[in-house]
Parts: sequence; structure tokens; C-alpha cells
Amino acid sequence: MKRNFLGILLLTFLFVGTSLAQSKQVKVKVDGLSCPFCAYGLEKKFKDVDGIEDIKIDIKEGTLSFLLEEGKIFPEEQIRKKVKQAGFTPKEITYPETSVKNEKGKIHP
Amino acid sequence: MKKGKSIRSCILAIAVILFFGCNPSKKWNYLNEISLQDITPVGITQLNGHLWISDAKNNRLVSIDSNGQIVKVHDGFQRPMHISEENNKIYVPEFLTDSIKIINGDNVEVLELTEVPDAPAAVDVKDNITVVADFYNHRIILQHHKQTVIIGEEGHIQGELYYPTDVALYENKIFVADAYNNRIQIFDLQGNSLQVIGDKNNIQVAMGLTVNSNELFVVDFDGNRLLIYDFDGNLKQVLNKGLNNPSDVVLVRQRLYIVNYGSNSISVYGKT
Repeated sequence: MKRNFLGILLLTFLFVGTSLAQSKQVKVKVDGLSCPFCAYGLEKKFKDVDGIEDIKIDIKEGTLSFLLEEGKIFPEEQIRKKVKQAGFTPKEITYPETSVKNEKGKIHP
Repeated sequence: MKKGKSIRSCILAIAVILFFGCNPSKKWNYLNEISLQDITPVGITQLNGHLWISDAKNNRLVSIDSNGQIVKVHDGFQRPMHISEENNKIYVPEFLTDSIKIINGDNVEVLELTEVPDAPAAVDVKDNITVVADFYNHRIILQHHKQTVIIGEEGHIQGELYYPTDVALYENKIFVADAYNNRIQIFDLQGNSLQVIGDKNNIQVAMGLTVNSNELFVVDFDGNRLLIYDFDGNLKQVLNKGLNNPSDVVLVRQRLYIVNYGSNSISVYGKT
């Protein structure tokens, strides 16, 4: 019984560890996220993208972040396009280990 | 002589009654604040005198008492935004699912839409007419039974809309919070723009509105104000005490309840 419990515990740690190792965080700095319609609009445009999860909007920081699954490709150009579809212009994208400065300002809101 | 005096007294009395009793220039005054603590409010409506709030951050609708304590919760919505009430039902636009849900007692139903919005920001229903603020398509969808009228398109001139976030039906007119054009537009049921209001008042995101028999109330999200207009578009009063990124407003029994998205609270005003 005790051996079974330890086995399950070990498997759990392995699973969690593997999951963390497989996901990489992407962070996008966006202006004008103070409005709830803007923030959730950005969330809406990203939620259906295949291979990303745990989308978070930090209104105070003005950032969108999400986890990109290992092996999934989501080029910066497409990220910028999605952000623009939501009505914004991305400023700085951290993806996954590089940091690229983009145009400043916003289209709307 | 006595008769003339009494007539004068009568006229004076009537004038006093008219001035103090029916004075249309009565002002709205700040009364109190209701703290909402863990509720992050976006929209507000009333059902049988009880306040209902859309807590978009926590994906739920909550009913609160006068102290801000939660008395009832409906969970499981996906970013509910500007809600409304009609015939004891609450209509809930779900921003993430492009659908309108209906809370009918303890049941949640889905409103059948003839035209699918992209991020419904608000809904209002009166006499079988439904209007939906279609945020990303910059338009209003009017639905009457199976008939649909599309109102507005993306743009900045009269008749066009730019990210509408609220909508209200009142006496066969459609009042639209034309949020990022920083104004209110009024349309008829055929989709003709009748009037633009507030475009000269430096509104910084006209996010929410409500209407009564002779006043239009508009929340100015980034301006931290509520503006009150008559139906000719004349600005009658500006309220700002207690307001912190106001996102919606409702009128219940001569009280204005203004939702503060920025401070998780409601500012209450009364007319005195």
C-alpha cells in the first residue's frame, strides 16, 4: 500500500515536472489595457489559438502572457497580427527567450 | 380688495408648489458608497429591486444587498459584460463565446441569435425586440422574431460606430454607447441615426448608459464622470464624486447606482 502511494507520488512529480518543462511563457506588452472590454477582447482573440494555454491579462502591468506548448510554433508576426486584431499594437514581445522591441502606440483603445 | 389678495396668494402658493414640488432642475447628489470587495464589476442591472452585477473577472453574476454582501451567485459564464433585465429574466452577453445567455429563475437558457456577434458587449430586450452591441464588428444587431436589422458600421462619422459597449431600447429608439468615438448615438428601429450626443463634452470612453423618461445617463470611463443629458442633448449635470473608472449605471427607485470598475465599488446618488 505504502509502495503504491510512493509510486503515485513519484509519477505525479514526474508529470508536473514534464508539463512545466514543456511549456514556455510568452509575454506581450500592450498599451491601453485598462478597459475590461479591451483586456477580455485580447483574451478572446488568443483563446482559440492552437497550442497555447493559461492566458493571463495583467491590467496593471499592461501585459498579455500565455504558455506555449513544446513543439508548437507561434511566430512573432502572428502574435503581432492577433494583438492587432484585438485592436492594439504590441510594444515588446518576449518570445520565448528573446526580447524584441516593436512599434509604439496603439490603434485603439 | 380681499378677493384680489386671495387670488394673489393662490398664485403665489401655486408658484411655490411648482418650484419646490415639480422643479425639473432638481439635482442628483452623492449619497454613499457600496464596497464590493472581491467582485470586479463591469455591468449592473436590477431584478425586482435587487441589484445584479456581472463580475467578469470571476466569470459570474452576483446579486448583492445594500451593504454589498453577496446574496446569490450564478457561476459559469465566460466574461459576462453589460447585462439587462426584462420580464424577470436577466440577459447576459458572454464576451468570449459570442452568445447571449438568459437567467430565468434558476435555469440558464441560450438566446437564439440570427446573426452571430464577435464579442457581444451588451444586450437589451424590450417587447420582443433584442439589441446586441457587437464590439468587434462595430455594429448593433437588432433582432425582432426572425427579422434582423444591422445598425452601423466601423467609422467615425454620424451613423458609424467604433467599438460599441452598451445599448438601451427606450420608446422605439436605440441608445448606443459609441465607446471609442466618445459619444452616444441614437438610432431608430430601422437603423437610421437620429442624433449624436456628448461629442463636444470631452468624453474619454463612453462605456455605459441608461435612460429614463427625460434623462440620459452616460458613464465616462477614463474621465471618471457620469454625464446627464436631456433628450435634446443638453448637458444638465456632471457627477464625479466617488467615481473610479465607472463602467455602467442603473436607475432603481430614484437612486442611481454607478459601478466603479476601478475601485470595486458602487457609488449611489439620489435626487434631492
